Amino acid sequence: MTITTPRPAATTGRAPSPVKPGSSRKGGRGSTILALPALVWYLLFMVGPMVAIFVIAALHWPGMLQPVSFAGLDNFRTVFADPAFWAAVRNTAVQLVIALPVMIVCAYMIGYYVAQRPPGHRVIRYLLFVPGLISTPAKAMVFYAALSPDGLLNGALSGLGLDSLTDAWLASPSTALYCLIAMDIWAGIGFTAVLFAARLSSVPEDLGEAAQLDGAGHWRTMWRIHFPVVRDYVGVVTMLQLLWTLFGSAQHVLLLTQGGPGTSSTTLSFLVYQKAFIEADLGYSQAVGVILFLSGLVGLLTVRRVFRASH
Amino acid sequence: MNKSHAKFGRSWWPAHILVWGYAVLLAVPLYYFVASSFKSNDAIFGSPLAPPTSFGLDNFTTAFRTAGLGTAVVNSALVTVVALALTLGLAVPAAFALARSEGRAASVIEKVFSLGFLIPRFAALFPTFLLAAAAGLFHTRTFMVLLLPATALPLSVVILVQFMRTIPKEMEEAARMDGASTFAVLRHIYTPMCLPGIATVLLLNFLSFWNEYLYSLVLIGPDPDLRTIQVALPTLKSVTGTDYGVLTAGTVLTLVPVWIVYTMLQKRMQTALVSGAVKM
Repeated sequence: MTITTPRPAATTGRAPSPVKPGSSRKGGRGSTILALPALVWYLLFMVGPMVAIFVIAALHWPGMLQPVSFAGLDNFRTVFADPAFWAAVRNTAVQLVIALPVMIVCAYMIGYYVAQRPPGHRVIRYLLFVPGLISTPAKAMVFYAALSPDGLLNGALSGLGLDSLTDAWLASPSTALYCLIAMDIWAGIGFTAVLFAARLSSVPEDLGEAAQLDGAGHWRTMWRIHFPVVRDYVGVVTMLQLLWTLFGSAQHVLLLTQGGPGTSSTTLSFLVYQKAFIEADLGYSQAVGVILFLSGLVGLLTVRRVFRASH
Repeated sequence: MNKSHAKFGRSWWPAHILVWGYAVLLAVPLYYFVASSFKSNDAIFGSPLAPPTSFGLDNFTTAFRTAGLGTAVVNSALVTVVALALTLGLAVPAAFALARSEGRAASVIEKVFSLGFLIPRFAALFPTFLLAAAAGLFHTRTFMVLLLPATALPLSVVILVQFMRTIPKEMEEAARMDGASTFAVLRHIYTPMCLPGIATVLLLNFLSFWNEYLYSLVLIGPDPDLRTIQVALPTLKSVTGTDYGVLTAGTVLTLVPVWIVYTMLQKRMQTALVSGAVKM
């Protein structure tokens, strides 16, 4: 994945090569060993467990203390025959299809707005960082306080005399998933907008001004002039949000709805957690893990295609 | 001034309204949490958005006592600080080696680290749990301290390598003439000169270590003596039959350290977050 980044302030690229390349190479080779502890650490704690997912997915392992046997593709057959898995696929698809476009489009427009430095943009910028700073449990508490039966939203509705509209939002099969999506969007827009604002402020100002002299409105300037310039960057950020939404939803579900009622808010990544730590069906859990990993990969390639399409 | 008035003319009103609407959606929950943490349950339901009438710390003390938040804050601080130290201890020498070396091995290692951004951390929770159990470190803070630096290494190494590449080689050569060892070069030239990079790495990792939830929940577990603040926080929901005053006070407590750091180092933190995110 090639990524264009705004480099840290003082970076000027590689220093000019030394006068005597021979001597410096010698010094370099000697010290490569200093990278070994970090590499070993990383392979042991990150790459190892990642590889293990694929191994465990091929095992029959009905519980921590149960005997383990080789299962081949049996776990995948069980998974594909399980209605709970398909419910999770559907929920994850709904989540991505709603959350990603809303998040990216809104964040792009807010980023454009902030990059134009309108009055008060500093306050906005400060607030946009908020969701990036607070932890997942804290975000979940915010939504719990807002959406629980005696929470803020119901309070506001009955205050307006709309008691008939109040609901147990997080506990109702028709709304639980959408509460989670709302949380993704609420938290996702802010930080994404900051990223876009940073990138958009490096677009030369005369580009937009020239377009406006030609009579283009801001709507046109935003989408026709600026968007093509930062298109690749938007693509990279969309990939990141895709991964965060796909894999990160396990914690949101765990904290707010536990996947219920029934399977109405079970997402794929929560299913991995649930099968491993609640139902102790380890082969099944990791098989879903493999599927999740592969769908992340497919998702990344799709996003890349979408953003490269009309180049 | 004139120009800016013309620039943000009437056609901007829909944009102003939408953006400030979202800003309100971000600000109101924060305000509600801070205000509620000083109020009783009755006051919270009676007038949710009214400012508190007094600034008693009852809710905070209850949060400390019923949910043992005091211990949890200490645990979080301990895990975060030790893991940060370990991260630097691993990442700085590695970046030093990779930035100066022109050998094949070094460029392969650098590739391996930068591919690390593609590894989704959440997916490997169960295998990581097995690793902790096999090492005899399940339900300890030690394993978390060992694990967190590994998750932070790709980003930290890549950022530090970028900073170290800007340091002119002549500086090292001059020091070598004076008989400096490799270690002395690292300590007296590279480390001081890439302090901004180190600060960026510390800030980013402080945020992710302090806010880490799922791994702490599974690997350290719910034992009140060991659990971190993020694991303790959601228990306020059930422990107290949801006393909103206590719930909000606990949430505010977890945010205070982050908020202090953010407000003190706002500029640096913003650049750090922006540069960090896009490298992932």
